[in-house]
Amino acid sequence: MPKIRKVLVANRGEIAIRVMRTCKELGIATVAVYSEADRAALHVRTADQAYFVGPPPSRESYLVQQRIIDAAKQAGADAIHPGYGFLSENASFVRTCEAAGITFIGPPASAMDAMGEKTRARANMIKAGVPVVPGSTEPFASLEEARVYAEKIGFPVMLKAAGGGGGKGMRKVERIADFDSSWRAAKSEAMNAFGNDAVYIEKYLEKPHHVEIQVFADQHGNTIHLNERECSAQRRHQKVVEETPSPILTPELRAKMGEVAVKAAKAVNYVGAGTVEFLVDVHRNFYFLEMNTRLQVEHPVTEWVTGLDLVALQIKAAEGEKLPLTAAPEPRGHSIEVRVYAEDPARNFMPSPGKITYLRVPGGPNVRDDSGVFPGYTVPNFYDPMISKLSVWAPTRREAIARAQRALSEYVVKGITTNIRYLKAILAHPEFIGGDYDTSFLTREHEALLGVEDAKLSEMALLASAVHAYQRDQKRAKTLPSASGQGGGTGGVSPWKLALRTRR
Amino acid sequence: MRYFTKQQGQKEALPVDLEPLGNDKYRLTVGGKTYEVDALMLEHGTMTMLVDGQSYGVEFEENGDEVGVLLRGQVNRFDVADERRLRLRAGNAAFSVEGKQLVTAPMPGKVVKVLVKVGDEVKEGQGLVVVEAMKMENELKSPKAGKVTELFAKEGTAVENNAKLVVVE
Repeated sequence: MPKIRKVLVANRGEIAIRVMRTCKELGIATVAVYSEADRAALHVRTADQAYFVGPPPSRESYLVQQRIIDAAKQAGADAIHPGYGFLSENASFVRTCEAAGITFIGPPASAMDAMGEKTRARANMIKAGVPVVPGSTEPFASLEEARVYAEKIGFPVMLKAAGGGGGKGMRKVERIADFDSSWRAAKSEAMNAFGNDAVYIEKYLEKPHHVEIQVFADQHGNTIHLNERECSAQRRHQKVVEETPSPILTPELRAKMGEVAVKAAKAVNYVGAGTVEFLVDVHRNFYFLEMNTRLQVEHPVTEWVTGLDLVALQIKAAEGEKLPLTAAPEPRGHSIEVRVYAEDPARNFMPSPGKITYLRVPGGPNVRDDSGVFPGYTVPNFYDPMISKLSVWAPTRREAIARAQRALSEYVVKGITTNIRYLKAILAHPEFIGGDYDTSFLTREHEALLGVEDAKLSEMALLASAVHAYQRDQKRAKTLPSASGQGGGTGGVSPWKLALRTRR
Repeated sequence: MRYFTKQQGQKEALPVDLEPLGNDKYRLTVGGKTYEVDALMLEHGTMTMLVDGQSYGVEFEENGDEVGVLLRGQVNRFDVADERRLRLRAGNAAFSVEGKQLVTAPMPGKVVKVLVKVGDEVKEGQGLVVVEAMKMENELKSPKAGKVTELFAKEGTAVENNAKLVVVE
């Protein structure tokens, strides 16, 4: 297969920039696409070329396959990288690319088909001998049928969107009384997010860990795993903090899970980067949850610890090159990633779009910030609230936590509210530091994570707020002399005198 | 100069007496305690504050009458008013949850569901309107028990930050 010369990145935000960075290093030209809301976005400037693809809602722009293909053709791109989200796990898009003679940087459509619908994936995995969480493998014909099934496997149960991801269309149901409303909500959310309202049911495992294995395959039948990521710090089934190595994995368990993940990938003739997600129960049994057939948000921690550039590997796999390694490298040190969201944890994680009036990004040794924002940028209302990923590396887990804390303490975002302080509270929580936190950690410790308010600092903040109010009033009095000619609050200086002073 | 500061989540406003001493220095008295504060305002709403030999980098964020104060990683939000402004605002109940309550959009978004209609009796904490922003649905709740007297929110419409949605009386 010929070398890729120009890549269109069918995405926005930090991931589009992440992909373009590697392309630049490989001497590959880059093409951005942007919606009306993203004209000023950083990925547009980072690319060599940029094409407009439609109105702000992603359904009318980033998700319109033909617009993306047209942009690629116009730009003369020979390949498309989908990033994550949007069209990244859309098998029909892969086929559209192929039909247009454009290389899709990702797995073949057949592998996406096999893993995309979660119910089908479960059936395929059972066939391949991979352990799965007990639950339904077929979508239900009616609410009644679903309710009967939930009762049969016993509450609590998990409702999950068959076409889903990112926690959308996902609900934990504690008791039968809540089943109907949760079912309807999950279906409506699934329809909105994925255009597919199929929802299935799984048994809810108590206090599980979410541990996923990064796999990688080339076109020559070589499939390896690149160790695991611990992703149990989740809120509304959305990951907030990720780390590798997982503090609960032994080398034996890592080898065993890695082997199963490779088996899962091979069962669907996988090519490129993929992630096999598992739940690990209190007895360290593990169950297949789903496979993400794309590059993931949390890939930087794997890059830190393996020293690999996963995007470069994806591009090389798409070009038909053989994998440069035959087995997972031994994990080197420890890496932690935190996701900076435009949201307000104190107000039930209310999204906080708007203009970033000031931005100071952390630096220092072994700190990486994958971001799509800049000072003066307006975070639009139409897309996910994640605005940046801060990741760090250190020789040990303890040092990595300290480094992540330090880096977060340098992070200043103004104009919008972010979860930075909440992230610091997570990293300072004894359960996180202890390394045995399960997927209920953030929900269970919600109050504690919000409530760590230092009374002395609150007192200082109160003083600061009064000084701020005074200075604001002074400034207003100076800039807005009153109509009576009395310079309000400045000791009766006339506006004429004030005007003269400023002229001098 | 006397200011009344109410911290978000607290019911009472605290009086704070401020005396400017010149040269960016202030004497502040609150709750019987007096502090000497050296507070130098820099660009971008940043302030460097020295109190009792302790150094604080302070970042402010104004949002209407509210000011967010970021100090050593902690955010506190205050509603600060002087006596004159306090009197002006006495009518619109910004300092309490008594009387007429206006529920506004906490962020720009889209109204996806209106859960009440004019005349409905609602409980404190009952959902009024669902606003979607950044792909997340947020249910806005009633700040008090009462009756819905005005409804501005319309399903399917886009709303700006602070847009009027519902009045509960």
